[in-house]
Amino acid sequence: MPFAFGPEYLAVALFGVVIGIIFGAIPGMTATMAVAVFLPLTYAYSMEMALYLLLGLYVGGISGGLVPAILINIPGTPSSVCTTFDGHPMALKGQGERALKIGITSSFIGGMISLVVLALFTPVLAAWAIKFSAVEKFLIILFALTVIAALSRGQMLRGIWIGMLGVLIAMMNQFSVNNMYRMVPKFLESQMQSGFQLFPVLIGLFAVSEMLEQCETGMHASYSKDDTLEIKNDVKFNFFRDFKGQVINVIRSALLGTFMGILPGVGGSAASLIAYSQAKSWSKHPELLGTGVPEGLIASETSNNGLTGGALVPLLSLGIPGDSTTAVLIGAFMLQGIQVGPLFITNNPEIWNTVLVALLCCNILMYLVMFFPVKLLAKIILIPQERLYPVVLMMCTVGAYATLNGRMFDVWCLLVFGIVGLLIKKFHFPVSCFLIGFILGGDLEDYFIQVLTTYNGYLTGLFVRPMAWVIWALIILSVVYAVLDNRKAKRQAAEEAAAKK
Amino acid sequence: MRINVEYSTQHWIFPIITIGVLVILGVLLIALEGRARVKAGGSFFAKPGRFFAENYDKFKFWGCIVLMIVYFFFLDKLGFTFWSMICLYLFNTLFANKAQLKSAKYHVISVIISVVACLLISIVFGTLFAITLPSGLFTIEIPSLGFILY
Repeated sequence: MPFAFGPEYLAVALFGVVIGIIFGAIPGMTATMAVAVFLPLTYAYSMEMALYLLLGLYVGGISGGLVPAILINIPGTPSSVCTTFDGHPMALKGQGERALKIGITSSFIGGMISLVVLALFTPVLAAWAIKFSAVEKFLIILFALTVIAALSRGQMLRGIWIGMLGVLIAMMNQFSVNNMYRMVPKFLESQMQSGFQLFPVLIGLFAVSEMLEQCETGMHASYSKDDTLEIKNDVKFNFFRDFKGQVINVIRSALLGTFMGILPGVGGSAASLIAYSQAKSWSKHPELLGTGVPEGLIASETSNNGLTGGALVPLLSLGIPGDSTTAVLIGAFMLQGIQVGPLFITNNPEIWNTVLVALLCCNILMYLVMFFPVKLLAKIILIPQERLYPVVLMMCTVGAYATLNGRMFDVWCLLVFGIVGLLIKKFHFPVSCFLIGFILGGDLEDYFIQVLTTYNGYLTGLFVRPMAWVIWALIILSVVYAVLDNRKAKRQAAEEAAAKK
Repeated sequence: MRINVEYSTQHWIFPIITIGVLVILGVLLIALEGRARVKAGGSFFAKPGRFFAENYDKFKFWGCIVLMIVYFFFLDKLGFTFWSMICLYLFNTLFANKAQLKSAKYHVISVIISVVACLLISIVFGTLFAITLPSGLFTIEIPSLGFILY
């Protein structure tokens, strides 16, 4: 079982974990941003080395979010929203260190459980997907798009619409079969043979738009020592006492997080919200959740780190990213000329093994880096954003410029998609749906044209294979679920509005 | 149902289908959201809300966009390192609050960050990893040493 491992790999992983924690701990900066900003650094690395760095950034980025959630009641990343519910009340009670240590330990356990699921589930899914023809490949992408919509609670139609817009934007290029341009202005034809590149689009949507949003509010989100709670240790962390009776909560939350990660386009915030609400439903004392009890904190943190391994399952077995951060990882694989999808494990066994080992190392490093110097963590929040954002912009510019070996067009795309991202958020559409649509758009079209060519243009080709029927059933199920859930969400919103009146 | 797949026009098949789906979904979206507003006692079309946050920081927001345009425009004309140093300092100044603007210490730190960060990025990416960076008027190249400071 060959895999890449050694001190140099561990050093790179450690660097990734530390930087990831810093990005995660600063409100407004995310794991996606961390991975995207450091992607250009991997241009000079081997795939194995790149994986250690990027997975370190991913694990660190997701885990770092718990620090401000507990200490200043502001989630560092969207996935730590529910950590504020019990983590901050614990810190207010003088149990800041205990809360941080419970959160860090839960994150570690969640990451480990998701790693096991990744190792067991990906080869099975890939072996199943290897038998797919263009019909099933087309339908599985369609299914991914409907799942995104199904989970855009209360925003089903908006989710599908913006996802389809992403698909359309992905088609602004030269069509590979007949070399004809579509939807490209004449003066841009030389620049847009392969359309908009993933990296500038992604970094524009997630980093530049975020910077513009912060500018709009005056870049006031930097914190002083007065804002953060002193990390008190009135009640000490004790693993056996704090995790007593939490085994089911831990396993349930980690599996929920992993499952949510497997579903495309679902972020950590949805995973932690669902795990938290389940913990509340099954709790012997649901009234205590939200007042500062470990149970809620464990549910939130186990699930959002459970997402990390889960999101890699569809990426490595089907070529479909599970969340926005793994969408960036697709970029890393593309740069190295490696195709993710059903044949990935068979064709690249060493890289597959390295993914598992790297994820294991990154989780262990995350635990060591966060658990022992826990008092230092509070200082990360004090790093001023006005100093960090300009440096991030420079790094993004380098990455965008180097995407196709030095083109200013890609740098301009950063700005354009930054503004597009801002507009999408302003009009209350989910940005992640747009991104997933953009990433999957090219493949969706290729497989559709292959189906048409194979079946002489007859759309009945989409229904002839038995496997296709299974996927059609899943598509219908997800649409039905989406409609029912959308109605329920709207009814709840109406009831809440009426109650407020 | 059959779609005619002709070599010369097949590049439009999927975009047309996608545009069709977008139009249908768009109409559905307007209709359903409008109906919900009517049910709630409002009008079919929503009143356009405030686009920017109340009392948004016009200077920082528009300043950031203008500075980005200026930065990108001159990047491949002046070279990455020199031009980024200047722009990094300008971004630091743009993002500062009123008290920070008056502080000499803030500006000194801004200059140090600008010089160190840009040199570091340029040397690590451009020289060490041989990644192409924008070159221009101020690019320093020493071919005998194989050294380029973009």
